[in-house]
This record gives sequence, structure tokens and C-alpha cells, in this order.
Amino acid sequence: MTNSRPINRRRVLTICAGMGAMAMLAPQVGSAGPPYQEWRGRALGGPARMAIRHRNEALARKLVAQCVDEIERLERIFSLYRRDSEISRLNREGRLDDPSHDLRLLLGDARRYGSLSGGAFDVTIQPLWNFYARHFAARPAYMADPAPREVERLNRLVDYRGIDIRRGRIVLGQPGMQVTMNGIAQGYITDRIANMLRDAGLDNVLVDLGEISALEGGAWKVGIADPGDPSNRIAQLTISGCAIATSAGSGTKFEPSGRFHHLLDPATGNSPQGCRSATVLAPSAVAADALATAIAVSPIDRAETLLRAFGGYRAILVASARNILDISV
Amino acid sequence: MEACDKFHLTLRGEIRMKTENSRNNWILGFDRIRSGLRLLACAGLIAIMMVAAVSTRAIADQLLSTELMNQVFPGATHYGSMDGEPPAIAAYKNEEIIGYLFRTHAVVRSLGLSGKTLDILSGLDLNGAITGAVILEHHEPILAIGVSSEDLEQFVKEFAGMDVRSPVRVVRRAGNRPDQMDAVSGATVSSLLMADAIFQSARAVGQSRGILERDASGVDLTGFEPVDWPKLLQEGSIAQLRLSLMEAEAPFIEKGVRLYDPTSGSDPGSLFIELSAGLATPARIGRNLLGTQYFNRLTAGLEDGEHIFFLAANGRYSFKGTSYIKTGRFDRLQLVQGSNRFAFERDQHTRIEKLQIPGAPEFREMALFTLPTGSGFDPARPWRMELIVEASTEDGAPLFATHALEYKIPDRYLLTAESSRITPRSKSLWKNVWLDRLPDVVFLLAMLSFLGAIFFLQDQVVQRRRLYKIMRYVFLAVTLLWLGWYSVAQLSVLNVLTFAGALRTEFQWDFFLLEPLLFILWAFVATALLFGGRGAYCGWLCPFGALQELSNRIAQRFRVPQIRVPFGLHERLWPIKYIVFLGLFAVSLSAIDMAQAGAEVEPFKTAIVMRFIREWPFVVYVVALLGAGLFIERAFCRYLCPLGASLAIPARIRMFEWLKRRWHCGRQCNICASKCPVQAIHPNGSINPNECIYCLNCQTIYFDDTICPPLIDRRKRREARAEARAEAGGDNDE
Repeated sequence: MTNSRPINRRRVLTICAGMGAMAMLAPQVGSAGPPYQEWRGRALGGPARMAIRHRNEALARKLVAQCVDEIERLERIFSLYRRDSEISRLNREGRLDDPSHDLRLLLGDARRYGSLSGGAFDVTIQPLWNFYARHFAARPAYMADPAPREVERLNRLVDYRGIDIRRGRIVLGQPGMQVTMNGIAQGYITDRIANMLRDAGLDNVLVDLGEISALEGGAWKVGIADPGDPSNRIAQLTISGCAIATSAGSGTKFEPSGRFHHLLDPATGNSPQGCRSATVLAPSAVAADALATAIAVSPIDRAETLLRAFGGYRAILVASARNILDISV
Repeated sequence: MEACDKFHLTLRGEIRMKTENSRNNWILGFDRIRSGLRLLACAGLIAIMMVAAVSTRAIADQLLSTELMNQVFPGATHYGSMDGEPPAIAAYKNEEIIGYLFRTHAVVRSLGLSGKTLDILSGLDLNGAITGAVILEHHEPILAIGVSSEDLEQFVKEFAGMDVRSPVRVVRRAGNRPDQMDAVSGATVSSLLMADAIFQSARAVGQSRGILERDASGVDLTGFEPVDWPKLLQEGSIAQLRLSLMEAEAPFIEKGVRLYDPTSGSDPGSLFIELSAGLATPARIGRNLLGTQYFNRLTAGLEDGEHIFFLAANGRYSFKGTSYIKTGRFDRLQLVQGSNRFAFERDQHTRIEKLQIPGAPEFREMALFTLPTGSGFDPARPWRMELIVEASTEDGAPLFATHALEYKIPDRYLLTAESSRITPRSKSLWKNVWLDRLPDVVFLLAMLSFLGAIFFLQDQVVQRRRLYKIMRYVFLAVTLLWLGWYSVAQLSVLNVLTFAGALRTEFQWDFFLLEPLLFILWAFVATALLFGGRGAYCGWLCPFGALQELSNRIAQRFRVPQIRVPFGLHERLWPIKYIVFLGLFAVSLSAIDMAQAGAEVEPFKTAIVMRFIREWPFVVYVVALLGAGLFIERAFCRYLCPLGASLAIPARIRMFEWLKRRWHCGRQCNICASKCPVQAIHPNGSINPNECIYCLNCQTIYFDDTICPPLIDRRKRREARAEARAEAGGDNDE
């Protein structure tokens, strides 16, 4: 991660999502007990932190160093902001002959989430996202709406089923097709890190790399901020042994009105206007991440179906400041 | 006849001139003695001051005061006692340990350039950063003559805050690079040794206290003893990953997919895969597994940094799969270390059929995989072999699960700081220094080759007087500017004392190799002593000598009167330098640091190493010497220089006499003697090799038939004969 890189849209997105939607974390246990250690850094362009309680400080430090290495390794695979990442190479060349296990595994899962959500979650949305981002970056002054015909054309490239991940390589089905793991990679990295720490015998850990995962051993408070007013907390959850993820279109708007934001519905190619933020509790951060995205772009009445299909625990949807939906299964 | 008369006249004239001058010389000579005595007294005083300064530095083996520890570990409230292995003192903040203090000599037996104890008290906090450092004991500097204890103290202070995991490199002239720091000017080697002592000790303490990973300095590839398979497994040289069908299927069940058809009757407890893996490059693992013959063949062509991994498996799942036959890639495996991923391709794969190790089971498949040099893989750090398993959903889409075999090479293979304790400095230290200074080394070698060529062709060179003079002054200028002021390569009598000291105690080439230019110079001097004498160094390569000669030449330009010391006095002043040398030598036998102070007699440190930027008494002393040199060329070299003395003594063994003389020399003619800049030619015409600076001045005269009387004589006679013959011939023609 070079410091010289200008802040780009994705960074704003993750900073907003991270700081706005669920920044309020605090270890529930007071000052008693083993020392509380915190690491802060960046992962996939957004702020990241790990909080660990462990008696052996030296061991905890060593583990944190290992985790930082692992984050770096996964960034080299999933980051769209590194020209030599696997995902960038795949998008540039339309195929990848030596993909890492991580990319194959996660694309397999992504495909499964795609079919579970009936196409609401789709990692091939990248050409459209790119188009919107470029469109509004080039015309900040008069904000003409993007041409529907172009949206329609690009939306034809969006189909997760067009990715072939068999035989140890990855091939994109059509020219121009592009993949983004931004709706799921944070979750994957969070799971990897949480598992690494669990395997090392730690159980009182909170990992926040865009999505949040808490191991079983401790209870951690997570606040959900009001998407309209990030200083206002609309709910506070205590999580332990599960992961939590939020998707909020308001996180990054392409233009001020909010009609175009970073969440795109693969069915129409446009930004959905129903739900302002969707927060999901699920057994893994990958599932929570994908599910939050799927719920946020779908009509609100599909939320419960999706929650069940993905095996999630609970979803909190904010349609407006007064209309908050809390679904548990 | 005419020519002959002239010759005698010249001789007489010369003699008369000498007698006229001699009275003035005597008077001036006594003045010189008086001022010389004053100078000596002054030097002695300075020496005593220095001795006092140095001896107060040695705090050796005192109990560490809390004050001192606070200085090294700011923020600590109290300290434990020295214990553990390696020994260290815990630093506490209230009841919590916040780091450790250690003494480098106790941890890595750190030695200084003198080969004697170098002891630095330093601290390491729990983040792996140095908290501070104080020198407890040192006997530096020996080769480096430009350094005060304060410089060294200041230098070690700069280590505070440095991360031990990414130690900075100490270089002579650090740029703005954050990974480099300036060595103490003129004490590069001492600086390197101190940095080495601090970092190595900190690493050893950090590793033993769990602050740092074990040192990744390397893996023992050669150690061997016969062991069997169960032993390799038990100690972790071979690691295993065992998955039953049920375990392999678990991640897929979560996703609603089966790995195998449940109706096929497979036992869920049956073996899916038992993968064994290990690093095969260490002989203790590879040679035991593969047998001596095969292992030797395999590793014979192995480059430094190449690594071989052994994999073997049983069960129904193949780690190789079949796709590599078509694609050339083993897509079921990936090796992960830190943030690096390594994949294997066909040309990295070696098939093996049979293991030689006793106690190993039969394997369904086995392979060796090689990682090339420069892959970034570090055998000393942990790694994991990841295995990917593929299943299909009902609609034919693939889903994956990965499993990792964790591997960490057992500590017994690790070469840590502790295993290299016997030799406190790493071999690579001096190699790095040489690489760093490669351009300087090349230039110096070129310079020495040029000088060698001058000596080799001296008869031809000196006959071109003008060219020779230009060459000599240019050479002296290079000696002064580049060798002296730029490269700080000024030999010192301290080198001789250190060398003698090292011969008596533990001699290690490493010490001397750490200063490439000094090493080369000394090698050259040693050779030159054998062939010709001290002159090759004193007259050509000594920067201070060059400074004296050039300043004297300029003085002569401005018609500063030159004093020729009468030979009788001159001769009696010579021994001073031997006395100074012997005194220093005697002192060095018992106290090298006192000898160091005494070596301040040499103006080299002030004039060359510190470029006159020093306390005024030193500068005054040097300016006085140079001032004397304006009237008496190389006054210091002649009478005081202990280095010259130390070179003159072994130069007695020289094998050749290259400087040409005639039988007339000293009998009929004393021109060379009168022109010799250091008056090294006795009135009897013989050249005193102990004093000669090999400037070849006498040789230019020797070949010059306008100066050297016998040659003039011969030329005149030849011309006369030619004239006579021409006259006679003319007669014949007529």
C-alpha cells in the first residue's frame, strides 16, 4: 500500500462504511482480565483493525504480524487497486492460468451466492460499476444521467454464470466481462484472519477489516449507525462467535442526489432505492458480506427468504429513519 | 684539460658553499633543538591528557547503576536482576515487564577492533525496538585514528528507536536512505562492530524472550545423522495433514454439496488423504529420506537459495491430480509463506519412486518440488502447504475447500545468533565492507599499479625529468586529496601496534579485512619493504608526507629559505623516532589505549582524518610541524615519525638495492646528497635506506648529464672527441 496513491472512490466507500456504518466498537469486558491489544492498519483500501486479548503479549504480537502478512497476501489477489493483483490480471486478460486457491475458492462461493440470491449478488457487476464511476468522475459539473442504452449494453455482460473456474484456471465467458470481489473479499479476509487466530488458540478476538468477526470467547459490542446521520446510533448488538456485515448504498454516492450509488442491481443495472442499509449477522463474514449485498439490492420483502437461503441469523434493514426492520430466523 | 679543471672548480665551489653555510646552520640547529624539545614536551602533555581521558571511560565490570539503566531504558520504573540465557535484565513499568536490558559482551561476547572487550549496555522493548545504548567498555579505536570516545558514545545513542527486525546498515557515507546510517567518520569498522554487537545481542535476547521470531539467519543444510521415519515425524522434520472422508466433506456439507455419492458405500471414516511434507534440502531430512547417493546427486547442482520440498501421500485423493499433464501446473497445491504464494509447475517437479529411510510406510504417490533461487522463500520461517479439494453442485458448478499442512522447521536446524557465538562478527561483514567500497578499492589498486610501474621503469622514467616531476606532484596530490582527505586511508603506527598485539593474542584476518584500503595499503607496504624499503610508502603514499612535501614546495616557490641540518646533528636526531616508536610499542604491550593516546605524536589524526577540525592544542601542534616543514623539508618524517621508524626496522630485510650510485659519489661529488630532500645521503655518498623516501630525486641527477659531474665529464670528453674527429675529418676531406 503506497501512501502516494490518491484517495479513490473505493477508499471513500470503505472509510465511510467503516467509520459511518459501524465504527463504534468497544470491548465489553472492562479493564480486568488479560491485556487488550489493538492493531490498526489498512486492508483492501479501507481502515482495518484487530483487537486481541491474550495473556502472552509476545505471542499475540507474533500472531498479529502473521495476520498482517496474510492480509498482504490476500490483497495481492483481490485488490482492484493493484495492477498486478490476480483480479486485475483476470479483468485485463479475460483469463488467469495460475489462479491462487483463494481466488478459485471464493469465485466458487460467489457463484453459489449468486444462485442462492437469484442473481441479486453478482461479482461480474464490475463493468457497470466502472462505467458509472467514470461517467460521474468525468462530468462533475452538470451530472447528466448515464445513457440507459449504454447501461443496458453493459448489463448484458453481467452474469456470474459466465465465469468458468474448472480445470485449475479461470476464464471469463465474454470479452469485456470483469469481476469485482469487493462485495465479498473483505468478508473472506476477515474469515481467514479470524480462523488463523482461532487455530493459534486465541478465542477472545475481534477482527474488523470492513466486515467484522468476533470469535466465541468474548462478547463485543457493535453499533450500527444511522445511514442518514452517522453520528446517530440506531442499534447496538453484542456479537460473539459470528460475523456482521453492512451494505449501505449511501456509503458512496456517485452523485449528490443519491439516485446513483455504489450498490447496483444486476437485474436492472441501476442503483436500487428501497433499502438504505442492510446489516446482517451470519456464521461467517463471507456469508454476511454477500448476504448484506444481496439484501440491499433486492426488494425489502425478499429479505427473509434470502436470510434463510444464506443461513444468516439476523438482518436489520433501514428503509428510512423511522422504518427499521429487524428479521431473525 | 679544460673540462677537467671545471670539474674540480665545481667541486671546490660546492665545498666552499657548504662551509659558509654551516655556521648559520648550527645556530639555527640549536634553535631547532630547543623548539623540538618544546614540541616533544607539548606532545607528551597531550598524550597524558588523552590517557587520562581514556582511562576514565572504562566503567568495566562495575555494577550497573540505576541511573545508567534509566538512560538506556527511559520509562522503566525498576529493574530485575541479570538472569536467563542469554543473560538480560527485565525492565518494569510498575508491575509489567516492558522490555529487557542486556550487555553485548555477556550476550555475544562482542569484541572491538582491538580484539578486546567491547561492552555496550542496551535495551530492547517488547515491540522489538532498541531503547537506548551506552558504551560500558571499549578499547577503540585502533585502526581508526580519528575518533574520540564521545564520537562513539554519540554514535551508539543513535540506535535508540531502531527496529531490530530491519536493522539499518552502517555505511561510510549514508545518503538519505532510511535503512542506512553514517558510521563515525574515520571509525567505520568500530561503528560496524558496535552496530553488530547491539543488533546481534538484541536479536538473541529478543528471540529468547519471545519478542522476535527465531533468527532467520539460515538453516543447517549439512548436519547429518541417520534417523528413521518415525523420528522425523515426531520431531516435526516431516509434518502431516490427515483428513478422513468426513472431514474433507465437512466444508461442502455446509454449502449443501456432497463430495462423494453417499450411496456408493464409502466409509465416512476412511482416509481421504494423509499428506506428509517437509523441507528436503537439509541433509538430515533429505539424505535420510532419499539415501546418500540420490540426495548427493540431487543437491550437487543445487544453487544457493534453491529449496526442495518432499511430499508423499496415501488415501483416495491425489495431491498431484492429473491436470498438470496437460497444463503443466500442479493446481491442487500452493505453498504459502507470510505474504508470498508459491505454485509448482512441471519443471519444478521430480518424481521419486522409493524412499531409503527405515520405518516409512508405502506411499501411493510421492514427489519432490523445487523452488528456484530468488523465490523469496525463507526455509527458517514457517510455511504451509495448501491443498484444494473440488466438488460439484447439482448444476455442475464447482465449489472448493482448502486445507493447510502447517510446517515449521524444528529449531535444531536453525542457525541462530547463538550458534555463531564463537565468532562474534559475521563473515559477511567484511565482504559487505569491500563491496561497499569497491570503487575505492579499484582506484587504490590502479594507483598502486601506477606506482609499481614507476618503480619498475624508474631508470627510464627519471630520465624524463619534467614528466617525472609532474607525475610525482600529481601523485602526491592524489595521495593527499583522495587517499588522505577523501578516503581517510592514513596508515598509523597504531596499525603496527594492533597487528603486533593481535599476533600475540588471537589473530584474525577479519579485523584487518574490515578496512579495505588500509588492508591493501599494508599489503603493498609489506611487499615494498621486502623490495626496497620504507620509502615507497613514506615518499608516495603517506598523505601527511604528501602534505608536508607539497607545502614545502610551495614555500620554496615563495623563496622561503631552506635549512640544511648539519649532518652531525641530523644523524643524532634520527634516533628520536625510534625511541618514540619503541616507547609506544612498550606501552601498547600492557595498555593499548594508552598507546593510542601516545600516538597523538602522529599529526595524522588531526591533519588527515579530522581535516584540522579539532581542539586547538592539536591543531597548533600540527601547524607547528607543518611550519617546521616549510624550512626543513619533512621535518616530522625525519625525526619524529614512529610509523616511519616502525617501517624502517623490518625494512632491514630488503632484498634489492635499486638506487644507482657511482664510485664518485661521496668521494668526488656530493650533489645528490645536497639535493636530497630528507638528507638521507651520507657524506660518504651512501644512501641510508632507513631515511630514504624513494623520491628518486638522486636518480634524476644520476642520469642527467648536465648535473651529475661524472656524466658532464663524460659528455664533455665525448663532445671534444667528436669535435676533434670532425676537425680531423674536415682536414681529410680537404
